[in-house]
Amino acid sequence: MRAYDMTATEISQRVHRKEMSATECVREVADRITALEPLVGAFLHLDVQGALNQARAIDALSDDERQQMPLAGVPVAVKDNMTTMDMPTTAASKILEGFMAPYNATVVNRLKAAGAIIVGKTNMDEFAMGSSTEHSAYQLTHNPWDLSRVPGGSSGGSAAAVAARMVPIALGSDTGGSIRQPASYCGVTGLKPSYGRVSRYGLIAYASSLDQIGPLARSVDDVALLYDIIAGYDPLDATSIRAETARVSEGPVDWKGLRVGVPKEYLSADLGGVVAQRLQDVITQLEAQGASVLEVSLPHTAYAIATYYLIAPAEASSNLSRFDGVRYGYRASGADLLEMYENTRAQGFGPEVKRRILLGTHALSAGYYDAYYLKAQKVRTLIRQDFEQAFALVDVILTPTTPDVAFRFGEKSSDPLQMYLSDVYTVTANLAGIPAISTPAGLADGLPVGIQWLGPVMGEDRLLQVARGFEELWPSSTWPGLGGEA
Amino acid sequence: MALSEIQVKHVARLARLRVESDEIAQITQDLDRVLEYVAQLSQLDTDTVEPTMHVMGLAMPLRADEVKPSLPVDAALKNAPDPRDHMFGVPRIMDGGDA
Repeated sequence: MRAYDMTATEISQRVHRKEMSATECVREVADRITALEPLVGAFLHLDVQGALNQARAIDALSDDERQQMPLAGVPVAVKDNMTTMDMPTTAASKILEGFMAPYNATVVNRLKAAGAIIVGKTNMDEFAMGSSTEHSAYQLTHNPWDLSRVPGGSSGGSAAAVAARMVPIALGSDTGGSIRQPASYCGVTGLKPSYGRVSRYGLIAYASSLDQIGPLARSVDDVALLYDIIAGYDPLDATSIRAETARVSEGPVDWKGLRVGVPKEYLSADLGGVVAQRLQDVITQLEAQGASVLEVSLPHTAYAIATYYLIAPAEASSNLSRFDGVRYGYRASGADLLEMYENTRAQGFGPEVKRRILLGTHALSAGYYDAYYLKAQKVRTLIRQDFEQAFALVDVILTPTTPDVAFRFGEKSSDPLQMYLSDVYTVTANLAGIPAISTPAGLADGLPVGIQWLGPVMGEDRLLQVARGFEELWPSSTWPGLGGEA
Repeated sequence: MALSEIQVKHVARLARLRVESDEIAQITQDLDRVLEYVAQLSQLDTDTVEPTMHVMGLAMPLRADEVKPSLPVDAALKNAPDPRDHMFGVPRIMDGGDA
């Protein structure tokens, strides 16, 4: 078995048992990345030499020290909106071209302490604003299942790298579905934890009341392994929850007696035939296992996209005001300070980022704040209450992750509103602060179909058990063949 | 409530974003479509609903006001486009100053 075919769990076990060195693992993985990257374009920055050096350092440790590292020798990819001192961090924006952060994100430090080898930084929609990774200022990322299609976004590079078996695990960030939607399009598993579960220190902020970092992997065990490492209180993040994060339970859920809710509002006309059919097949399977599948109602679902596309741009317009050409990043010339600001931001930001900054600035401006931002925050309360009421009746909620499978390049990028509407099933988890996981449910015409499981706030443990149980029922047995391989 | 091009220019100035005159029409049209879509929120009566300022209702945590090590000046200036004398250089703000 080649290292790139192994899960993170398998790699760390072999490294612990000295059946494989970290260096051997990284060499094999690096060869594969080098061969496939011209096809996939998952990485904005790759550091093979740095990865080999990290691997040698892991190999040079004592056996005891290595045993303490749950990710000893495991190659991992990190989305390019998390800061790394030894690699550039650009958030796929020209305004941060060449930026070398003066500190590591907490998640990056936690990965390193766990023995993981960061091989590179992955492509994304600029500042995480988008659903296809087409809004990267640098390059397109291709879906490994069909190179003419998008990988989803905004964590498209991380999802594609995992699906192409360039790395077993990767970090993404999710503000309105940016982990789950690309996980669905690329046929991998992706978890958005509860708001505040994972430290965001060093995550370049998009919408602070919604952003959350989470893991992507080809197995639920690997998602759980990575989640265990990154979750937990961090005094450097004021929104980090002070809560115990015990190691997540192992083993699958017992379906018998599990109450699975399916929101009737999610089964609307927007839902593509292939996804609707697959969801129905999943429900049949769960019932056959003894789960009780119940219809639930989330009455404010229809307002979720409108709510999200006021709150997220409003917060983005505030967060992105720091990119002004003064302290870091790109600076354009200008006769005076104001002109320098305006030119820097006009030249440094891409069109989608500008659209959201303008929308958000408008929603927060004098005379509009109450009608837009405050109104959206009130509707958010109603959406949150919908979930609280539903979780009084069911243990988990089952939904599609996306209305359809991965689309072709350019298919939606010409119409911003159309792109926004495809986030309909994912934005609600961010608005409500609840955990959500997308798991693969097989292929349809060669393209992955994903389904989403939602749990109550802090309910990651149960969610991962359910996802693990589903993975046993519906295993992903094949991965995309790339570059002529079988 | 359609947005005027004058309003878009005003918002762009607030956002410190230069927009070219040939971009304004398209930007106005894009923003209008989104604003038209989000206007559906006004259908909901939210007079008695509290806004969600934090999904778990947590208050902003406080810490003791103690001096702790912070980013060294060299590191803070490492990415600066125009570092000058341990400070960030910028173009002049008012007339009569040095460029």
